[in-house]
Amino acid sequence: QEHTFKLHHLLSEKAPAHTQMLAPWAEKVAANSGGKVKIDIYPAMSLGGKPPELIQQARDGVVDIIWTVNGYTPGLFPRTEVFELPTVYTNDTVATNLAMRDMFESDLKQEYNGVEVMFLHVHAGQGIHMVDKATRKPEDFAGLKMRIPTRTGAWIIEALGASPVGMPVPALPQALAKKVVDGAFIPWEIIPPLKIQEQTKYQIEGADKVRFGTTTFQVSMNADRWNSLPEDVQKAFRDASDEAWVAQVGDIWRASDEFGIGLAVKAGNEHITLTQEETDAMNTALTPVVDRWVDEVSAKGIDGAALVDAARAAIAKHQQ
Amino acid sequence: MDALLIGFAGLFVLIGLIAIRMPIALSMILVGGIGVTILNGPAIFFSQLKTLAYGQFSIYDLSVVPMFVLMGNIASKAGLSRDLFRAANAWLGWAPGGVAMSAIAACAGFGSVCGSSLATASTMGQVALPELRRLNYSGALSTGTLAAGGVLGILIPPSIVLVIYAVIVEANIVTMFMAAMIPGLIAVVLFLITILIYVMINPESGPAGERPDRAEFISATVNLIPVLTIFGLVIGGIYFGYFNPTPAAAIGVFLVWIYGMARGFVKIPELRDALLETARTTGMIYLILLGAEMLKIFMSRGGVPQAMAEWMANSGLTPMTIMIILLVALIVLGCLMDSLSMILLAIPFFWPVLVEINGGDYVDAANAGFGMTTEDLKIWFGILALIVVELGLITPPVGMNVFVISAMAKDVPMIETFKGVMPFFMAEIVRVILLIAFPALTLWLPAYLSGG
Amino acid sequence: MGPVARFIQGWALAGGVVLLLVVLMNAYSVIGSMFGAPFAGDFEMTQMGVAIAAFAFLPYCQISGSHVTADIFTSNASPVWIARFELLASIVAFAFACLLIWRMYAGMLNQKEYDYTTTILLVPHWWAFIPILMSLALWICASLITLRDAATRTLGR
Ligand code: NA
Ligand code: NA
Repeated sequence: QEHTFKLHHLLSEKAPAHTQMLAPWAEKVAANSGGKVKIDIYPAMSLGGKPPELIQQARDGVVDIIWTVNGYTPGLFPRTEVFELPTVYTNDTVATNLAMRDMFESDLKQEYNGVEVMFLHVHAGQGIHMVDKATRKPEDFAGLKMRIPTRTGAWIIEALGASPVGMPVPALPQALAKKVVDGAFIPWEIIPPLKIQEQTKYQIEGADKVRFGTTTFQVSMNADRWNSLPEDVQKAFRDASDEAWVAQVGDIWRASDEFGIGLAVKAGNEHITLTQEETDAMNTALTPVVDRWVDEVSAKGIDGAALVDAARAAIAKHQQ
Repeated sequence: MDALLIGFAGLFVLIGLIAIRMPIALSMILVGGIGVTILNGPAIFFSQLKTLAYGQFSIYDLSVVPMFVLMGNIASKAGLSRDLFRAANAWLGWAPGGVAMSAIAACAGFGSVCGSSLATASTMGQVALPELRRLNYSGALSTGTLAAGGVLGILIPPSIVLVIYAVIVEANIVTMFMAAMIPGLIAVVLFLITILIYVMINPESGPAGERPDRAEFISATVNLIPVLTIFGLVIGGIYFGYFNPTPAAAIGVFLVWIYGMARGFVKIPELRDALLETARTTGMIYLILLGAEMLKIFMSRGGVPQAMAEWMANSGLTPMTIMIILLVALIVLGCLMDSLSMILLAIPFFWPVLVEINGGDYVDAANAGFGMTTEDLKIWFGILALIVVELGLITPPVGMNVFVISAMAKDVPMIETFKGVMPFFMAEIVRVILLIAFPALTLWLPAYLSGG
Repeated sequence: MGPVARFIQGWALAGGVVLLLVVLMNAYSVIGSMFGAPFAGDFEMTQMGVAIAAFAFLPYCQISGSHVTADIFTSNASPVWIARFELLASIVAFAFACLLIWRMYAGMLNQKEYDYTTTILLVPHWWAFIPILMSLALWICASLITLRDAATRTLGR
């Protein structure tokens, strides 16, 4: 092998993100390069530091490639954040991944200084997990305490009249069990590792799997490393991260989400799908979140309204 | 292969540096930093240093450490130790060996608000040692009891070493605290039995104390209410999930502080002393943490933990043999370093070995090497490791608890103190055997409490 | 105790006060959440406050000799040899503190340049680096003090 890369990420080597996404992608790159490239994956922050440091590690060349959650460093990727908003991201992982790819060169690339993005993706979206209350309408959330999923997720909770509570993900099962929080906004995919089905009765989502915001992720390489690579090697990376791949990533995350909710249902939980009317009422209540985001990014000189429209249009284009 | 060799060489250099009195944290920093530089050049190490220390020092789960340290330090000033000993004495003091038993009970009580062994030994030593000597308890029994009793500071939750363990292996701190409870109580019972047997064999070493009058009995018992309330709120709150460990520790500091102020025991000078003591302990712990992270980076890049895990898994030894080898290795390392450094240094190597021989992260209990899920193994091994690393505090050549108590009891030669802790050491070995033979002693309570 | 050492002790106490503030904030948040109004930023403020406090403790640990060492192999060494070992340890501490202040200064510029903030309250992380860099500067001073002490003792005072 002529080129060896260290890929660093935060989850365990048994996590679906590692086994089903990162490892197959690394193999794809290696195969495309005709064996010139080898990517060693270091899971669970084994090369040191805490998850929010990953992006800086890629920029500094401490590691070559990272997979990270954009939201760990709030404010760094304000434009990409548009895809995390409720009513912008609704239910389609594949279309959203493709939309991010479409808008990357024109709208997003500028905020990824010092790294070369391989691909961006989302998870299947924040579903609602409730301990003992089947919340179907925005009013049902009044006075409840809900765990914050992301920065804009906190706004969702406020928009619904509930109190946002910050806590690390591993503390969530305990907090749900003792009703320190009444519920949480997180994707179904978190159900199996945290055994959320044991602490909750209800998993709630909108009609047609509509969710309430999502989280964006990136796989990125140190920019200097990228620029130093010969064209054929760059092509091996590009080909491994093409449209078909990001669509496949969308399917992978959808599948692990389905697995999670299947587990909860099998454990006897009630999986509630809101009616179209109820879903619309929730989305109406969440419109202020989008407005708040537009206002906030405007202060940074970003045309948020245009980004929202462009993102919605790009997602819609791929949904057909 | 080359990288692996450099990694192992690094471990030898580390031991050499520690042996010539280089602070353990700095030894790790030096070996980690130079090691990464040799393997991958200086740029990586320099870049990583930009945020590594800030990242480590701001780990949320670790924030309970300075808080529990502070709580213990304020509690020492607030007179909680005196209240505990007085009450225990009212209940047990009249029996043969009873004052020593009271000291153990009071150590256990103090351990329930203090996360460290040394703090428990020194605080309870100040209170109980004069009383034991006044009643003509033998030097060996009185100092041995207190040195051993100090260990309860860490065996009864909250426990700083357990927090660090939980952070390294990504276990739930609350679960670890729950798991430590029954083993901690077993330690108390075994220590009490040890004293009973000791005074049966040597009646003159532990004469009976005075029987308290009714008024003293009631007043001493009533005095316990504040300690019990604070313990109930903090640990009860954590166990029953009403708060996370950090807010619980904060509430604990707050209550102990208010209580100390209300009694007039904690004024500005006492608070100042407690803060400076906390600064010394916290700074020491956090620097070791940074050193351990730097060492981990070097070792991961060299492939050492992976190689060790693979080698142990393919060694053909039974899982139980490997477990015992690892525990013995911890006892031996205990001659060289303190419990915290040991946990930070050894667990990142030992834990992957155990995961590997158990059959991976998500193995079924039925197919696992240890006959339990890896989550359960994490809890069980954590408690066993906690006990054996704490044994180092009471064994020669470096037994920190023994040193602390010896320094207080000027008239008792240190060798007497080491003789005095021997029976307790045997009791600890009995306990380790019990916990290995019956994992349920460790695993039942967390399962029960999180299920209910 | 010289004026520098006294300042270092005062700095550690200031770190202790930050820790007490974190304690009070957490206590307030628990009480607040009982009445339905938890303080959403408690998590990140705890992280930042404890980090600032922990750095503030490092110089005091250096002058008070709080960093644990293993004394088993050197317990019979002569005082001059012990002083030599301590001199070496002070040199390492000095070198590391210098390296760290240089690198964390670069880290601060990075944090500022890329606008790293906390999640909920959007507090810039580089703010925390200011007291931290001050702590590291004091750690350099502290290691010079212990270095001088050890050097004096190697000369058989
Ligand atoms: Na304790
Ligand atoms: Na020892």
